[in-house]
Amino acid sequence: MLEIENLKTNFNTYDGVVKALNGVNLKIEDGEIFGLVGETGCGKSVTCYSALKLLPKTAEIVDGKIILNGEDITHATESRLRQIRGGEIGIIFQDPLSALNPVMTINEQIGEILLLHQKKEVDDFASEEKIPPYKSEKWKGSPGVEFTIMAFCVSFISLFTMLGQFAFGLPFLLVIVSMLLRDYLQRDLPDSALDLMVIDALSRVKLPDPRQIAQSYPHELSGGMQQRVMIAMALAGKAKMLIADEPTTALDVTIQAQILQLIKDIQKEQNMSVLLITHDLGVVAETCEKVAVMYKGKIVEEASVDDIFTNPKHEYTKALLDAIPKGGKERLEVPNIGEPGAI
Amino acid sequence: MKLWIYVLRRLALTIPVLLGVTVITFYLSYGMGDPLAPYVTERTTDEQYEMLAEKHGVNEPIYVQYVTYLRGIITFDWGYSKVVNEEVSEALRYRFAATLELSILAFIVAVATALPLGIFSSIRQNRWEDHSIRLFALFGSAIPIFWFALFLQYFFTLYTDWQINGRLDPYLWDIEDPIDTPTNFLLIDAIAAGSWPHFIDALKHMVLPATVLAYGSMATIIRLMRGNMLDVLGQDYIRTAKSKGLTENQVTYKHGAPNAMIPTVTLLGMGFAGLINGSVLTETIFTWPGLGSWAITAMRSLDVSAILAYTLFSAFLYIIANLIVDILYAFLDPRVELGGHSSIAEILVVSFSILMLIITFLNITAAVWFGLFIIVSLTLLAGYSIVKRLTENPEDLWVVFLLSGTLFVVWSILSGFFMTILYVSLLFYLVYLGYYWDGVMEGLGPKYDEFKRAAYQVKRNPLTMLGLFLVLSLLSIALFAPWLAPPSESQRDPMRMEEHFEYNFNHQPPCYLSCTAESGEENGYILGSTDRGYDIYYGIVWGSRTSLDVAVKVVFTGTFIAAVIGAVSGYYGGRVDDIVMRITDVFIAIPGLVLALAIIAVTGDNSIEMLMYALIIVWWPGFTRVIRAEALRIRKLPYIEAAKAAGASDFRIIFQHVLPNCITSIIVIATMDMGGIVLSLAALGFLGFGGGPDLAEWGKLVSFGQDDILTGEWWGFFFPGLAIALWALGFYLLGDGVRDILDPKQRN
Repeated sequence: MLEIENLKTNFNTYDGVVKALNGVNLKIEDGEIFGLVGETGCGKSVTCYSALKLLPKTAEIVDGKIILNGEDITHATESRLRQIRGGEIGIIFQDPLSALNPVMTINEQIGEILLLHQKKEVDDFASEEKIPPYKSEKWKGSPGVEFTIMAFCVSFISLFTMLGQFAFGLPFLLVIVSMLLRDYLQRDLPDSALDLMVIDALSRVKLPDPRQIAQSYPHELSGGMQQRVMIAMALAGKAKMLIADEPTTALDVTIQAQILQLIKDIQKEQNMSVLLITHDLGVVAETCEKVAVMYKGKIVEEASVDDIFTNPKHEYTKALLDAIPKGGKERLEVPNIGEPGAI
Repeated sequence: MKLWIYVLRRLALTIPVLLGVTVITFYLSYGMGDPLAPYVTERTTDEQYEMLAEKHGVNEPIYVQYVTYLRGIITFDWGYSKVVNEEVSEALRYRFAATLELSILAFIVAVATALPLGIFSSIRQNRWEDHSIRLFALFGSAIPIFWFALFLQYFFTLYTDWQINGRLDPYLWDIEDPIDTPTNFLLIDAIAAGSWPHFIDALKHMVLPATVLAYGSMATIIRLMRGNMLDVLGQDYIRTAKSKGLTENQVTYKHGAPNAMIPTVTLLGMGFAGLINGSVLTETIFTWPGLGSWAITAMRSLDVSAILAYTLFSAFLYIIANLIVDILYAFLDPRVELGGHSSIAEILVVSFSILMLIITFLNITAAVWFGLFIIVSLTLLAGYSIVKRLTENPEDLWVVFLLSGTLFVVWSILSGFFMTILYVSLLFYLVYLGYYWDGVMEGLGPKYDEFKRAAYQVKRNPLTMLGLFLVLSLLSIALFAPWLAPPSESQRDPMRMEEHFEYNFNHQPPCYLSCTAESGEENGYILGSTDRGYDIYYGIVWGSRTSLDVAVKVVFTGTFIAAVIGAVSGYYGGRVDDIVMRITDVFIAIPGLVLALAIIAVTGDNSIEMLMYALIIVWWPGFTRVIRAEALRIRKLPYIEAAKAAGASDFRIIFQHVLPNCITSIIVIATMDMGGIVLSLAALGFLGFGGGPDLAEWGKLVSFGQDDILTGEWWGFFFPGLAIALWALGFYLLGDGVRDILDPKQRN
């Protein structure tokens, strides 16, 4: 599915060049859950952002190859990359609240990705059901624009009334009346095809009451719901692969388990590939089939989950495994491994 | 439905603020000036004066006078203006349309050009497009608005046949083809009359004043929008939007811009205040028959009722603009809490204000008693809670000491002990250095690295270097003034410019470097002279001392007040904060230049000290709010909790943690306002309130030059205006640079 060869990424900062990736090699097969573990700052996230070219402006890919389904996308054009983002690879982020746009409803945010990558399906669905494809309401701007027009009109009417020239306020009164009339005529419109598909996408990630959630803004949802919305958004474009960048770090433990279960279920259902980035070995053990351990911008070990836990080869992997606190008596005897950098 | 409650609440909250504004205007007329001034002429005898005093109730107790004044305002009896010789409320009504037409056009132009420019500048960050837009915006803030207006006037009168004075061509509107002007919005009237030539004529007259007026606001909005866009473009949801496969433009305009609009919109109300301030200057220059030029005429002839009516009216406009912006904010940002927290105090204040207004309308005596009752009970309540708090926590006594100490220091600065205060604080600092010498030396190591880093950043940024160069050279001009422009022997005070009444000294063109004839006798002025033979070069050199003096004193005093009050208010929050915020609300509600002008005009004293007081009064509330907001933010940070948990006292927390963490914004704003204060000072000077006719002051020199524009004598307004612009530009650039250095986010 996705293959990364000898990837090197640098950051140009005030203190000089920082080499974030020093030749990363990864291979993710179709339909497998691949875990990428490592400590904070070792380059896990940079790897996945490099793959989609979502890096900040200071970063630069200096060497390496990124191959998606046999196609070399290292030097792909911007328009090809846009097809891939969301259409072939979906991505979810660590903190769902900050990753969702605070001023757009869930409906708008998911609808957007459907329009980008599923436009044909939306049109087909609309013609099949004989409903409007995108938007039921017409002649309506965003709330801010609507308010500004309204405020302007009201001010002018009161101004001219104050000046004793009510007649000059009449055109503005007309605007207000027509706006109200528009709203009255457009009440109780059927859902558009896009709205229905958004609701469908939300119900696929097992959100209760998807119709209500589609209408709400991100800050009105709980953390778990927000992350489900993110997953729904990543899947809405019918992506064949999901990159999950520490999807559970910002959530509490019970929600973590639910979200991981959801990712596993969806992966099985749609036979997707998943690249799961995490620093939590427990998550890896529970979810993944294959694991790569990353340290200082390099993959130090790659093996199946069983092998990693029973027979770690690299020193760093061993240290990482030793660092897991264990229950019972053993907990008192955890060896002091010191700083990871010392190894 | 919740939104309507929010709107109603915001509406209700403006009433106490308006009441507060009337208290200020009342105090201005009755406390600082003579309320009878409009009725008194040179021929008024003492007896007549007594009768007038009797008639207008000046001998009544002050609270009765206030209630009478308030009743006059709510019944639209705003007094009589002797300048236009009619009722003030009448004059307001027909002049308001002229000002509003201009302001609305300017506002639309400013917003419509500034938002796209700001967005464009942010997506081309650090490229030449960005640099040029930033420079354009910077000029807009730094160039004195009257200087820009004079420039346009100079070019358009000398090189085109545009009629640039007034609103209309009187020949066309009154004689050739008279049309009705029922609304007094000339553009709308022309459309209503269906007359194309009238429309074009009105528009032609509006273009220049509107451009001048728009430029300043445009500059502010560009800077804001650019900063907010840069902030937003670094957010996680922008990365999400990109990961969906949206194009760069879709990401910017659909996801970035609406988010960046939110903080920008909150400051559009301020932009409107800028328009009111600017309209005073613009209308005076273009003889636009609006409120601003009327107010200036009133101020020059000490027409108190007109001045106060104008002050009140602009406050009213400004409050309405802010109200609309606040409501718009709720529409733009779904996260805003519409319910808010209506505290009991808030409800009480609002209902008391409304009751007070109603009772005043019905019966003055009852209103006096009601007002007195409220004030006495509030004072008692406040006294009781302060005493209770202090007896419960005696360690809070330091706040009282701190506030009285602040008052003392401010009083000493205002009464002329500024340098003493400076020396004493220097002494304290030296003692502190000596006492903690080891600690200071230890701390210097990392400071030195920090300094090297800062120096590197300054060197890397050419604009900051330019700012530093400008500031340093202007400061050295002020320092070396006696050598650069030696005063003549007959001058008693070098700050006062020398008049030369002889004909051949007037209106001399600049001779730049070769002003000395072969005989060794000086026969000209380096930068020319004005009509009374004032040497412009001399005025600019010594004027830098005036600017420096005023700017430093105002910024220093203002910072001092703001730092103490802002930090205490932000840190404690609660009722203290409420009270401080309501007081600043009232001050901020009056556009700055208008308030300063009103203070100066009403007291009739335009000495440089009075200018300084006026600027301090205008300036401290805004700054206090900034520091208070910082303190409020810092208060919630974990390390404050940690310090509290470690048992640190409030005093220690404020001075060890809160204030040092505000210092970044304090330094940045203080640097910027060193420029802003000089711009305001010059505006006051330009309008004729510049500390006497012969004090070396830049704004006044520009106004001298203004009279000679039509004869093509450009040097009179050009050089002093250039000095003001360079001063402001230097400090703005420096402030920008300092922010970049101190803001850790900018370091990559």
